[in-house]
Amino acid sequence: MWYRRFGAVDTTSRSNEITRKKLRTRLSILSWPKPKGGPHHAVCHFCDTLHVAEPIPEGSRVDCICCGATLFQNRSASLVRVTAFSVTALFLMLVVHSAPFISMDAGGMRTVLTLPGAAKALIDDGSLIVGCGVALFTIVTPLILSGGLVYVCGPLLFGKSAPGAKMVTRWMSRTEPWNMIEVFLLGVLVSLLKLGHLAELHFGVGFWAFAALMFCMAAAVAAIDKRELWDRLEVAGAP
Amino acid sequence: MNGICKNIPRAANQGLAGCHVCEKVSLISAVNCPRCGTHLHFRKPDSINRTIALMIAAAIMYIPANILPIMSIRELGVTTESTIVTGLIQFWEARSYPIAIVIFSASILIPLLKIFALIWLCAAAKGIVPHSAKILGKVYWITELLGRWSMVDIFVVAILVTMVQLGNYMVVTPGPGALAFAGVVILTMFAAMSFDPKLLWDQLEREAAEAESEKNTERE
Ligand SMILES: [Zn+2]
Ligand SMILES: [Zn+2]
Repeated sequence: MWYRRFGAVDTTSRSNEITRKKLRTRLSILSWPKPKGGPHHAVCHFCDTLHVAEPIPEGSRVDCICCGATLFQNRSASLVRVTAFSVTALFLMLVVHSAPFISMDAGGMRTVLTLPGAAKALIDDGSLIVGCGVALFTIVTPLILSGGLVYVCGPLLFGKSAPGAKMVTRWMSRTEPWNMIEVFLLGVLVSLLKLGHLAELHFGVGFWAFAALMFCMAAAVAAIDKRELWDRLEVAGAP
Repeated sequence: MNGICKNIPRAANQGLAGCHVCEKVSLISAVNCPRCGTHLHFRKPDSINRTIALMIAAAIMYIPANILPIMSIRELGVTTESTIVTGLIQFWEARSYPIAIVIFSASILIPLLKIFALIWLCAAAKGIVPHSAKILGKVYWITELLGRWSMVDIFVVAILVTMVQLGNYMVVTPGPGALAFAGVVILTMFAAMSFDPKLLWDQLEREAAEAESEKNTERE
């Protein structure tokens, strides 16, 4: 379907600089371009079955013919959605780290929870490794993921690839399993139930921003198929 | 022969390998992926040995993680040490059943199920127990998906240590069990990552080939 549309704007077959520029912008609006050459194959991660990867219409999905696992999906408006959600996530991170998260009044004292504060409290109390782990899983990993997605997908919207985009994308796929903000949110809820009887708790702006951040991160990561991202990088000519 | 797909080409048999990072399919003779530079291999290197080694380490760590206190609470000069199990009992006695169930699943059930699931997967891939690759593929997928949620207890400790700093009234400090438990979660996550579900299908293929050759020799 869109394969034919894309065939009409093959950038490699024309040399005129102006048309190429125009095509680049059109390329970004079109969905999932195919890199040069072919036929393109897809291998199932679970059973190693070899498939010929035909272009599919937006919003549809290809499953493995042998084991039924999802091979790839063509998300609609993928680049726009990734960029929008990851920019929002970056903004929300700023709010999460600057606004009060949860404050507690007990025994005439007030303590405030922040993400870096939680990591620092563990380190100060002698649990250096656990503290660093908490910082890594709740601050560093989400930052690498959403920052990386903005850095890679923003320029791709205009058909260009940012310098070092491939390296950044490699790092993102490495850090993705270690993003634990939704687990941290569950931890917050459990702790609130533990503390609820003992003190007065106030939810700050940071808490709501954190809940929104969780949704934005999940939406940003799910908005583009890994295969599509790499195909786009290849078509955009990333070195 | 349960569940194996007949007459369907498998990438490794054609000398093709899918890149783990960018998913491009290239000939194994290329050594490195032409698109992203990752080293190409048919199966995750040394998959079963690595998984088993990490699982053993996780299982050993699981003991101190449950015996040692994950935090100690000093309330009005009296120090009580809290392990994962005592924290769970507290919630149960306070009649917070939903939260007790959440903590039980995340801290006790998921790590144990992960350890057993991965042992089962390794045994199946080695051909020690008969298996359906389709079902075990799903088991592997769930194992990988649920792993991170065990970290919830560590985050609870982090939050309590930060917030309960009320001078003489009540102070919470982290315990050595927290490190051991975080170790269990991280080790099981690495173990799940190093297992290659394609080995389950390789084993089925081997079994099918053996059955085929037996049939042929009988005919002769
Ligand atoms: Zn499959
Ligand atoms: Zn690659």
